[in-house]
Amino acid sequence: MQELDDYINKVKHLPPAPKVLPELLALLRRENVDSSKVVTLMSYDPALTADVLKSCNSAFYSPANPIVNLQDAVQWLGFKEMYRIAAAVSGAKALGPAQSGYGINTGELWHHSVATAVASQIIAQKLGEDESVAFTAGLLHDIGKIILSEALEKIYMKLLEETERNQQSLLDTEKKLLGVQHAEIGGRLLARWKFPANLVSAVWFHHSPKAAQPNHRLASMVYLGNLVAHFMGHSYGHSALALRGRVDALETLNLNADQLPHFMIEAHERMAEVESMFKMAAA
Amino acid sequence: MPSPSLTGFEQRVVVGIAEMAVSNNQNVVFATYSLGSCLGVSIYDPVAHVGGLLHIMLPDSTIDTAKAAAKPAMFVDTGVSMLFRSAYQLGADKHRVIISVAGGAQIMDNSGFFNIGKRNYEALAQLFQKHGLRISAQQTGGLVNRTMYLKIATGEVRLKTSGQQEEVTLCKSSTTT
Repeated sequence: MQELDDYINKVKHLPPAPKVLPELLALLRRENVDSSKVVTLMSYDPALTADVLKSCNSAFYSPANPIVNLQDAVQWLGFKEMYRIAAAVSGAKALGPAQSGYGINTGELWHHSVATAVASQIIAQKLGEDESVAFTAGLLHDIGKIILSEALEKIYMKLLEETERNQQSLLDTEKKLLGVQHAEIGGRLLARWKFPANLVSAVWFHHSPKAAQPNHRLASMVYLGNLVAHFMGHSYGHSALALRGRVDALETLNLNADQLPHFMIEAHERMAEVESMFKMAAA
Repeated sequence: MPSPSLTGFEQRVVVGIAEMAVSNNQNVVFATYSLGSCLGVSIYDPVAHVGGLLHIMLPDSTIDTAKAAAKPAMFVDTGVSMLFRSAYQLGADKHRVIISVAGGAQIMDNSGFFNIGKRNYEALAQLFQKHGLRISAQQTGGLVNRTMYLKIATGEVRLKTSGQQEEVTLCKSSTTT
């Protein structure tokens, strides 16, 4: 733990913490959500509020009358949908910039993250699990890459060699070259940002979901959501698919591999909507 | 649907996931981004100067026939059939078309449970074999994400791999037989 904290502490540019998300998530868990609390909480972040309103008024939703405040937005979309928009746009701030240590261009990590969020949510929905937590864990699963990118940039060629020639997963290469890997760094960062323990654990173990017990179900959803995103090409950087197959993720959720193509079809539909909502670039 | 955008004299047309486009317009360059486990299939008739590009997601349309009817380009069987029929309508000839294939990437997995890229490729290869068609150039499998371009004026097929800046030529068209 200390090693991870030391690593996070020495990074020059920490991504901005999506401060309101953990609190919104906590509100979502209650049976009857008081929308005025949601509105108050979100209005502490004016930039986020503006971005959410912009998305609510996008061509995708095309409300009859322009939505000018959060209260209207909650009524128009429902709290859960508005939460997902808030999560996605606040994620964009942290995940948007290029991560050259991974060969990832501007916007690409966010695109991958949103695709993973959408796929994780689809899987949670199929299993009757908490969709908002799955969506958020999917969205933030690679947040640790932002911390490691800087260090990897300096040893880029070595990184490529290790991964490609030795047929090593990107995660193993990170661990070997830096002593830490992006999943555990991401998990630790989210814990420091006060995200709930199950979400922290799912991000921490999104490449080895079995180890996330007792949160292995959520970790498995994120693991599979990440795979679906990679399969569909919402996947960027060098050796983009250098990750290990974990059959236990299917076993944990009592799913079979034949269901993956169906998740891909559904994710394809949802991504088309999301891309139009956020006007994401095609590439 | 593909959306055209002008870049100089070249008109770049983006072929999205589960989409297909054909053209005989010599200014058109088709682009399909970020294939992942999906397959990009390009065909080109160097005599008729007709070409088409397809972005396939899954091997077999029978898993969702309603989807296959709405989006034939999503699947190997229905997508390839649509690609060839559309190119024939513009004057392409089966015996002249040059076929290039890219994509079908895989994660590191020996279990076979997650081999969608491989299954896509096998379904495609089988279909081509059944119809006596041969792939002229291909770059498939591996851990990388590829983007594919087809230039209608020349039939040249280029590839860009994620994490790398430069494009490479996969097929020069008329020089390949």
